[in-house]
This record gives sequence, C-alpha cells and structure tokens, in this order.
Amino acid sequence: MTHEYYKELLAANALTALDAEDARGLETHLASCADCCSEMDGWEGTAAFLALDATPFEPSTQLRERILESVRAEGLSGKLTDNHAEASAETRVGAGHPRVIAFERPPRNVWTSLGTLGAIAATLAFVALIISLIALWQQHRATQRELARLSAEMQQAKALLDHQRAVVQFLTSPDAHMAKLAGTNVAPGAHAMLAYDQDGRAMLMAKGLPPAPKGMAYQLWYIKDDKKMPGKVFRPDAAGNGILEDQIPALARDQAIFAITLEPESGVQTPTGSVYLLSAS
Amino acid sequence: MLSFSARISGEPECRSRVQPESAQLSDVDLLHAVARGDEAALARLYDAYRVILFGLLVRILNSREEAEDILQDVFIQVWRRAKDFDERRGRPFTWLVTLARSRAIDRLRLLGARQRLTTGAAREQENTESISDALTDTVHSEQKEIVRRALAELPEEQRQTLVLAYFEGLTQSEIASRLGAPLGTVKTRMRSGIFKLRALLGSQLESFS
Repeated sequence: MTHEYYKELLAANALTALDAEDARGLETHLASCADCCSEMDGWEGTAAFLALDATPFEPSTQLRERILESVRAEGLSGKLTDNHAEASAETRVGAGHPRVIAFERPPRNVWTSLGTLGAIAATLAFVALIISLIALWQQHRATQRELARLSAEMQQAKALLDHQRAVVQFLTSPDAHMAKLAGTNVAPGAHAMLAYDQDGRAMLMAKGLPPAPKGMAYQLWYIKDDKKMPGKVFRPDAAGNGILEDQIPALARDQAIFAITLEPESGVQTPTGSVYLLSAS
Repeated sequence: MLSFSARISGEPECRSRVQPESAQLSDVDLLHAVARGDEAALARLYDAYRVILFGLLVRILNSREEAEDILQDVFIQVWRRAKDFDERRGRPFTWLVTLARSRAIDRLRLLGARQRLTTGAAREQENTESISDALTDTVHSEQKEIVRRALAELPEEQRQTLVLAYFEGLTQSEIASRLGAPLGTVKTRMRSGIFKLRALLGSQLESFS
C-alpha cells in the first residue's frame, strides 16, 4: 500500500471506523510517517467536536469524590510531595540562591610538609584507583538491584496481564451470563455486575459500596426458591470498589437472585446483616 | 484560543477575547499540574469537563450507570497519563474527548449490541428527563450550536455515517451492513461528511480549546 492510500484512511481512522485490516496497516504506517501522524492529529481534533452534539448531562454529585478517593487510594498522591520538593528546589535556584555546597576547609596535608611530591602523586593515584574501584562496585550493585526490581515488576505486570486476559476472556465468552445488582436504600449509590458461566465460575464487580466497618465485610448470597446459599466475602477498597471471584452452587445457576449483605468478615452461613445490593428477581 | 473550561463557565465573551492566550493555557497548565501530581488541578479539570464528557458517554452507552463508571475510569487515566499529553499534537479538549470516547467504545463492544438494544430505548426517556435547568444554558452554548448547525448542513446520509461511527462505534463495514448500502458508498459518504464538517467549522475550530 502507498502513502497516498493510507492518507485517504486518516479521516475514517479518527472516527475509529476502519475495518481491522486497514486499521492495522495504517497503524504500522503511522509509526514511520510523521506527515500522516500530524494530519491524523488534525482529524482527531475535528472528530472530537462531534462530542458537542451529545446532550450534556450532570453526573451524580458523589462521582467527583469517588474519583479523588480512587486517586488517593492508589497512593499516587505521593508524587505530589516529591515534585513539590523538586519545584521548591528549582524555585530556590531561580530566586538567586545558588545550589552550591561549600567545601569544608581541608585538613593540613602532612605530605606537603614532608616535601615529597612523588609520594603525594603515588598516593593520589592509589586513592583514585581505590575510589574508582569503589564506584564501579557500587555501580555494579546498583545495576543488580535495578535488574532485580525490573524483573519483579515485569513478573507482576505479566501476572496482572494474564489475569486481565482471563477476565476479558471470561466476560466475553459466548456462554457468559450477566446479572446486574442495584443498590438498596441502604446504599443507593452502589451497583454491581455478576458474570458467570455454565460451570458456575462467577465474577462480581461492585462499585460505590460504603466502607465496611472494622471486622465486617460484604458477603455474596445466592437465593433460589427462598434457599439462601452463602458465597465468599470481600472488602471494598477506599473508593468503594470490590472484585470477587466465586463458584456459584449448581442449584443457583438458573433463575437465582443474587444479593450482597454486610456480615462479620469471616462470613456466615445465614444472612444476618442489611442487604446492600440485590439483583432483579 | 479560548479555554473550554473558561467558555463553559460562562465567562463574558468580550473578556475571553481580551485574554485568549492565557485562557487557552489554563487547561494545558492544569494537565501539566496533574502530571506533577496536583490533585486540585485534576478536580478543576473534572469540574470543567464533567458535563460534556458525561453527556458524550451517556449518548454512547445509553446508560448513566455505565457512563459514570467510564467517567471515573477516564479521570483516573487522566491522573496516570497526563504526562503523555502533548499540546503540540492537540487541544486538551480533544485529548479528553478522545480518551473518554475510546473507553466508552471499548465498553460498548464488551457489553455487546444485545444490551445496547435492550437498554437504549428505555433509558433515553430517563436521560432526557434528567437534564437540569442549569444545563439548559450549556445545551444552547455557542460551541454546541456551531457544531449542531454544521451537522445540520451535511446531507442526511453523510451525517448518518458520522453519527453511527462516532456514537455507536460502528466500522465502515458494519455501517454498510446496517444501512444496506455498498461499502464503497459508505466510505465515500463518511469521507465527504467529515471533510465538509471540517470546512463548515473552519476557522471556528480555533476558538475552541
């Protein structure tokens, strides 16, 4: 395919309307064509204005705080402190305070008093050699630490990716069933989705749950013909989000009702607490 | 250029024209501040863009619940990826809208067309009823009006292909199948439509952030 051919595809790509083959070809072309990249940015700018054709809506008032809580919960706020510290340092430099640390006055050099310049030179060379060796040794150790850290991060990322792939595969499998759970009057802002397959493998994704008190946790229930079967327990994060993987009892895989109650964190066999989330019957 | 946040907040037009450059810089500066970990800057961006982004997400997903999920994800992504924003490549408005739409289309494809069809009609009425009086002014804001007028000037078949692609995430083949039109015809309509849209918006594009 030619440059001109791909150039023709740019506008449709800004609408993500290309079919898979063209999209893949264009992506490869864009990686090496600055001209098309620049034009692509322009088309994305045009396409974005279509968003203004949508009727504006106000999201719920709680969402703003949920987002900020999620950000804090990720522990990412820490970078604010670090960067402010850097910014402060730069400000100090910019304000005319030189970042110069004064050397301490060196102690009187005994070799000078001996007048043996050769010995001084030899000593300096020896010291330089020792310093170089120490620096190399430290560099080696730092590299080893960095390698170990990167390796651990890669393992974590791979595990996360494998898990996410498994989740997507599960959620998109043809025999996956979805049940929505709505918040009751105890937690009107909460909602959840339970996905499960014919083998009973289930995954619950809950949002907007109030924090569970100490010693308490949310427990999933499978209800069929007034029989309440206990599922696993989970505690949501600071933003009220929780994910739970469980196995649905065979009896509850057809026409069951799903509920979430607040229970002691070890779980109970019969529900005792308030119902926070409930699926439609 | 004017900052979207400045314009949407109701800043007087004459004042906007007096200080266009500084106003434009404010959203860029906010993104840079977010990249440095400034939570207050993230909150200001949310305040400025929540209504237009949430409207877009509701239009795509036909569900306030799903749209809130995605809006939350979008701003968490903004927090994580603000350092990737490059003002030489586009406006903050474009970056945020593209990010939001991309995630909404991903969710739409995950949910599948089946759910789209079952939830869409029922929730359209619910959504329409939930527009607050305060938002009515925004609905009729200058930016929307310019885009609405430009879309209205497009031939119906061109406008239809743009809307199906942008708000329903359909590919050209899927649009051809939906409309029962040849693929080549759909490609031509889409290309003509977006070229004409760009021409109609013309220099007015520059007045948006």
